[in-house]
Amino acid sequence: MQINKETCVNCGLCVSRCPVAAIKTDTPSGVQIDFDECVECGVCLRWRVCPTDSLYQQELKWPRTIRSIMSDVLTIAEESQISGRGTEEMKTNDVTGRFKKGWVGLAMELGRPGVATRMYDVEKVAMAVAKEGVEFERQNPITSMMADQKTGKFKEELLNERVLSAIIEFGVREEKVPAILKILEEVAPTLDTVFSLDICSKVGDDGAAPHVAIVEDMGLWLSPNGKINIGLGRPLVKED
Amino acid sequence: MTHTLHRVGNRENLQGDYVFLCMPSKDINHVGSGPKLRKFLELCLKNNCVTLGDCRKGNEFHQLSRENMLDNIEDRAVVTATFKDKQAVVAMIEDLKKEDLGLSIVISGLVDEVGECCSKTGLKMHTVEHSMGRWGKTEKLPPQEILEITTMCGHSMISVNFISEMIDEVKKGKMTAEAAAAELFKPCMCGIFNTDRAAKLIAEIAGK
Repeated sequence: MQINKETCVNCGLCVSRCPVAAIKTDTPSGVQIDFDECVECGVCLRWRVCPTDSLYQQELKWPRTIRSIMSDVLTIAEESQISGRGTEEMKTNDVTGRFKKGWVGLAMELGRPGVATRMYDVEKVAMAVAKEGVEFERQNPITSMMADQKTGKFKEELLNERVLSAIIEFGVREEKVPAILKILEEVAPTLDTVFSLDICSKVGDDGAAPHVAIVEDMGLWLSPNGKINIGLGRPLVKED
Repeated sequence: MTHTLHRVGNRENLQGDYVFLCMPSKDINHVGSGPKLRKFLELCLKNNCVTLGDCRKGNEFHQLSRENMLDNIEDRAVVTATFKDKQAVVAMIEDLKKEDLGLSIVISGLVDEVGECCSKTGLKMHTVEHSMGRWGKTEKLPPQEILEITTMCGHSMISVNFISEMIDEVKKGKMTAEAAAAELFKPCMCGIFNTDRAAKLIAEIAGK
């Protein structure tokens, strides 16, 4: 995003609207967007707060285009064909069977909530969990940004790009979950950002989601609130 | 896309925060899903939802009116609505069962309470997802009371600085908590920012 300084009146109304505080007032030209910090989320422009319509979306070129994919909720990712930064994940599990009995879904959303992340931190986490042989979700745009999906290494030119958040997503067999969580405990203190971690599984015949016991056994925290797919999608997937 | 997960709060204030999401699945049931997605939003309105939105085309502020939003729904859209109590959740599930849209429905909220609502309507939970919290450099995060507000937009479109600005306006008596919540809703394109819960949280902070 940029500001047309020929029409901007430096009123500063846009400043507090920026989710990553990239609009500055203390610059030689008054109100200005810190181009390196801006994640191209589009919030300032969509808010229609500028009295002189001075905010404008410049043409985005690779590798900056990934900022928009990972930050602007209305940008459609080629891989998933849906808006947002992720995939259908457990939301359509009743019809896709993506997470079957015996499997657990895990996702690490780097930069969330509201802190943002450079891609080098996303790479750190991806490379750490890749050592456990995880298979990254192919429909997630993050996966196609990797130079090597086996190691979790990202394309070099993307590493310093800043995005509002990026989701590393995969499914693993239940027995692998403790090892993955241990790795995350080790890598978390090395990051210059935060990540929100989520875990899901198909509810068993006993009415329990198997991941709950796994996490509780490790003494880790689980939220009292969550997301529940209530199985109304059709055709309902059948497991062998 | 886990945007309706990771909502921060305590049990008491999360009891007034439920999100319904309706989504077609690519190449399984997405063809012709537009009218069904619209029907879903109409059911949400019938059951007194607090807010609603379309993650593909944007909320009613972005699309300039609620009518535009309903008219513009596409086959691959993901549509949502928020609710403030369990009675509405039960009524909504009943209507969805009757309507049999055939699209996936996800409810976000206190897991045990959503489970209870499912039982009341004869449904079983199919898949459950939990948040395991925030890891890493958590000192970069705002205080808990601000997180409770900002995490209601899962795509982090609502800036912490603007939330603080709105709270200040309410403290000074220049604005009501409800008006502040409505202003904060604007950038939440998916419409999952629950303005009812937000207004209560803002009023509580401003009253301290």
